Amino acid sequence: MSEIDMAVIKPEIMKSYIWLQTVDGSIQQVEQEIAMYCPMICHEVIQKGMGSSKNYAISLPQQVNPAMLSLILDYCRFHQVPGRSNKERKSFDEKFTRMDTKRLCELTSAADSLQLKPLVDLTSRALARIIEGKAPEEIREIFHLPDDLTEEEKLEPLKNATDDPRIRLLNRLYAKKRKELKEREKLKNVEVDEELVDDRSVDDLLSFINGDDGDSKGIKTSKSKKKNRRRKDLQKSTSAHEATKNHNKESNGLNSVCRSAEVRQILPSVGATTNLQDVEDDIFPNKNEFDDGDIDDEIDPTLKEKIDREVEDFARRLNSDWPERMQEILSLGQEKKPVHLSLNGKGS
Amino acid sequence: MDDVMSRDLISDLPQSIIESILTRLPIRDAVRTSILSSKWRYKWATLTQLVFDEKCVILSNDRCKVEDGLVNFITRTLFLHQGPIHKFQLTTTHLQCCPDIDQWLLFLSRNDIKELVLELGEGEWFRVPSCLFNCKKLTRLDLFRCEFDPPPTFKGFLCLKSLNLHQVLVSPEAIESLISGCPLLESLALSYFDSLALTIRAPNLKFLCLEGEFKDICLENTPLLVAMSVAMYMTDDIAEHFEQSSTCNFNRFLGGVPRLERLIGHIYFTKFLSIGDDLGRLPITYAHLKVVELNQVSFEDMKEILVVLRLITNSPNLRELQISGSSNTLAAIDAPDLDFWEDECPSNCTFKQLRVVRMTDMSGVPHEMEFIKFLLANSPALETMSISPCVYVMDGRLNMLIELLRFRRASAQAEILFIQD
Repeated sequence: MSEIDMAVIKPEIMKSYIWLQTVDGSIQQVEQEIAMYCPMICHEVIQKGMGSSKNYAISLPQQVNPAMLSLILDYCRFHQVPGRSNKERKSFDEKFTRMDTKRLCELTSAADSLQLKPLVDLTSRALARIIEGKAPEEIREIFHLPDDLTEEEKLEPLKNATDDPRIRLLNRLYAKKRKELKEREKLKNVEVDEELVDDRSVDDLLSFINGDDGDSKGIKTSKSKKKNRRRKDLQKSTSAHEATKNHNKESNGLNSVCRSAEVRQILPSVGATTNLQDVEDDIFPNKNEFDDGDIDDEIDPTLKEKIDREVEDFARRLNSDWPERMQEILSLGQEKKPVHLSLNGKGS
Repeated sequence: MDDVMSRDLISDLPQSIIESILTRLPIRDAVRTSILSSKWRYKWATLTQLVFDEKCVILSNDRCKVEDGLVNFITRTLFLHQGPIHKFQLTTTHLQCCPDIDQWLLFLSRNDIKELVLELGEGEWFRVPSCLFNCKKLTRLDLFRCEFDPPPTFKGFLCLKSLNLHQVLVSPEAIESLISGCPLLESLALSYFDSLALTIRAPNLKFLCLEGEFKDICLENTPLLVAMSVAMYMTDDIAEHFEQSSTCNFNRFLGGVPRLERLIGHIYFTKFLSIGDDLGRLPITYAHLKVVELNQVSFEDMKEILVVLRLITNSPNLRELQISGSSNTLAAIDAPDLDFWEDECPSNCTFKQLRVVRMTDMSGVPHEMEFIKFLLANSPALETMSISPCVYVMDGRLNMLIELLRFRRASAQAEILFIQD
């Protein structure tokens, strides 16, 4: 055929194709008008001139594996045809989203990465329909969500807006302690031998524990005035103290175990697998909900003293300055971010 | 800890998708996701759309309990919420006038509220607190059964695009200044007002919906109006007032809307338009008007017929026409002015684009039939003309059919459908 003939025939017979590369490395070609339905691909072709050949294939985001790409292209192939009625489109959409939940979630993620908003809306709606009206256990099972909230945390958050200022303060203090503990551990991993605590003798440690026994007795007597929840917490703390008495390890190890055991038991029944980081993140957002202005006014003075002493002890352990720490604790209410503690390695 | 078999499918999707999913859930379900897992604890708390309706009410026979439950739920949700709230909708019959609502509105006014819908129950109407007028970013306001009393210093909502006041107690001056004070207003709906005389100045207005007893309406500055629907009720006072008025309502109402595409009128709308002296030729052509629906047109009143003719003869692109009649058959048996149709009726007008005509509630009175004849003779592109007789007319139907058969049709493909119930 002459060149002129080919030029005339070509546009009709030959469609243009776009080359796409999925995250697993495989490359395929797709009709241009179908691929261009996705804004991200459209952008790559027009703005960057990619996709015209195998060497210049457009790299699709990692959420788009070949199975997802095939689904998305099916969607585009149907919807890019202008002549379809709304009824047809709705019917297609309804059938299209009939797939298992795992694929639906993957598809949502893939469509979002390609900026294909109509498909994201469609899959979001399908996911919402799955969630609607189901009990939490059912939802957890469907989506394989970890059941990692404590019993208290699971109480409907709407019921759980705790009003008791003492519980609030305790939560806050315990969160602070946990954070300190975490930072201690981090530092420990970096430098093996230094440390404020290793200067202490075992005697010192034992006296601390014994001293706490005395304190805990005091806490027990004042227990009767307090609410059930508080009593539970204190019981746990006293039992922790008693348990640590029996440990006979090196001071380093003992200290960290002791502290973490105490801390863990003191916290309102934190689940065994709880990541301290997560729980802490839970507590800190809670801060914003509470009225900080009047915490000090409503706390029983003897209790306050006990709390002060506990915190002081921990502070000594961590070897920070007491006034500084007090400042930080008091200013918890004003700041959204947890205060960054600066620890020095010296004894107080 | 990450077992591939039981890996979390959904918690790591981008927050925008999670919010998209949560927004599509009823608010109770959305809030309940906070107990699914630690990652889900506060995913709902940044939702920007909060819709409280009958679905979030826990039903019980004790009315107080239901009310208290709902109030507590909304208060706690707002309290636990983080970040801006762009849309707040409260639609319930269980609350009327309740002091908590004032507090919620105060909270919302401090949280960049953009869309506010308040639809409360029958009973004592809720009085809108002044904090509402401080919501600078408001783009949509829907109030049902409220008392609305702007302070004298209130200038308007500068971002408001959509205003819907339904059964709202408000003074006429306040409404007019509210409308003029919202320069971006595109959609206005006022319903169930008593004896309201209203002048509307809204340079960006596109959609207008009025329903109620209006003493007077004047569209003074609405050049961009695209669609309007008006249902005018009339009491005797208003009728009297109209008798004495001499201003041409047609021009005052439809004189400044060249971009109009849809016009729907109910009840006394056509009568309202017919009042006043006819100033002759209409200054504007409704070049975009495609759909006209006029209900309860009385074909015994010559003035109303003239209004309809005036409207359609100035709409060269009219595609759809629907007219429902409201004639009293007995009175119209000998109709005056029948020679109008031969002598004065505009003879050289053609409805080139008219495709569909629906005449409903037809009693078969002479003027109705002449009108249908007129349409058939002047619509070369007509596809369907459907006629539904009025339910009270049983005997006259045969006569109607006989007359219809005789009419000449300008369009070869026109179908005449006589719809009996």
